[in-house]
Amino acid sequence: MEEPPPRTAATSVCDSSPLAVSLCDSAPLLWRVGDLRSVRAQGLVGALLGALPRTPRQNVRLGRPLLLLPEEERLLTERHVTPPTAPSTDNQDGGVELQVQQYQEAQQRSYEEQSVLALEDRKSALLRAMTSSPTESGDESLQRRLVALESSFSFPRSAMAVQLSTARAGLSYCADARDFLRADWPIRAQDEPRRAARYQVFRDLRGRGFYLTSAGKFGGDFLVYPGDPLRFHAHFIAVCVSLDESLSLLDILAVSRLGSNVKKTVLLCSPGTDGRVAYTSLQWSGMV
Amino acid sequence: MNMLEASNRADVSEKPPPPNWILQHPTYQQMKSLEVEDSAQVHVAFLVYMDLTEVRQWKEVSCVKSPELQLVLLEGREKEGAPIQTILPLPAHRSLSHKSIRQVLDRGFPMLLCAVASDSTLVYQRMTDGLVTPDPPAGPFQDLGRRQHRKRRQKH
Repeated sequence: MEEPPPRTAATSVCDSSPLAVSLCDSAPLLWRVGDLRSVRAQGLVGALLGALPRTPRQNVRLGRPLLLLPEEERLLTERHVTPPTAPSTDNQDGGVELQVQQYQEAQQRSYEEQSVLALEDRKSALLRAMTSSPTESGDESLQRRLVALESSFSFPRSAMAVQLSTARAGLSYCADARDFLRADWPIRAQDEPRRAARYQVFRDLRGRGFYLTSAGKFGGDFLVYPGDPLRFHAHFIAVCVSLDESLSLLDILAVSRLGSNVKKTVLLCSPGTDGRVAYTSLQWSGMV
Repeated sequence: MNMLEASNRADVSEKPPPPNWILQHPTYQQMKSLEVEDSAQVHVAFLVYMDLTEVRQWKEVSCVKSPELQLVLLEGREKEGAPIQTILPLPAHRSLSHKSIRQVLDRGFPMLLCAVASDSTLVYQRMTDGLVTPDPPAGPFQDLGRRQHRKRRQKH
């Protein structure tokens, strides 16, 4: 299956190492454990997408990468003042050549070690053969044969054992953000008014200490947790609309009824003109 | 009293109402006097009024006009001495903006939205300002322990 090549950008954090956000098409992904940890510490949850090697055939527990919500990605870039910068290309080329040189040196060392070991092996085989047979050969002939072996022995390169890595240690991506791909960056900016409303609501609720995840299963925009989702059930289903948007009464009733069946309050959220967000809680009245 | 007299008495007290009894109802005429152009909404407001007063026995139910929304709102108390609530009656096929909801909430009373279908089925929904934590699930809770895992294992 062909995937577009992953592009990377560095979102720098003021105090610690930069977060490496990889873009797969337009989906922002995090691969490194340190990045996942620091993002969770900031109260952003995301969604794990990958299969775990030891338990592949299930999707209850998933592994890396972590997919960020567009609102989470935007919050991360806003919190860190410097915009994403590409590492200089000169450095990067030097890096590759250096790696090739190091690889060849390691191969040479391995060859030398292996040839020494092979010679030792042959000698001990010869000794065993000589001493086990009951025939006349004395110490002299043994010595002669050992010397002959040493001088004539050559370890062919083709017999060398080479170790091939099937996994890259540590999942560290080479940060090879190409300059011509950087031109795509501003196009990803989202311009729908509803997305602006979503982001305002996300930032406000996050600022109040709630944790937010995607609410696709419940027909809303976000699920709002009073604390870390690993410890709490969600209290609210947030539906983000603008104040003037016309909502069908049947839709309001449907989402409110769903919320009451899953023991969550539906929250109508609209960013106001003064920068604050208006919240209206919808509850099933229970008046039969 | 014999059966004949009883049925006669019943006939007299339970004459069928005239077909346009709603139009003649004093409360309906009061609502009409509020001069809200949306006659469908006025009709629906009347149906909600009848439900609150006759079926649910609410107290002090009155109608008032909302100048911002140009609609009839109802006010009433669920019981004697209970706080006043605002009810917004609307036909079920209508749409509503969050702004209008906020305007009704700004009146300062607990708010109920009532959606009325064409067969006069009524549905009430509470709307509150702010974040209202839902009721927690009701106990008593039984810790299943390992039984659930054992059941799953046996399946495979």
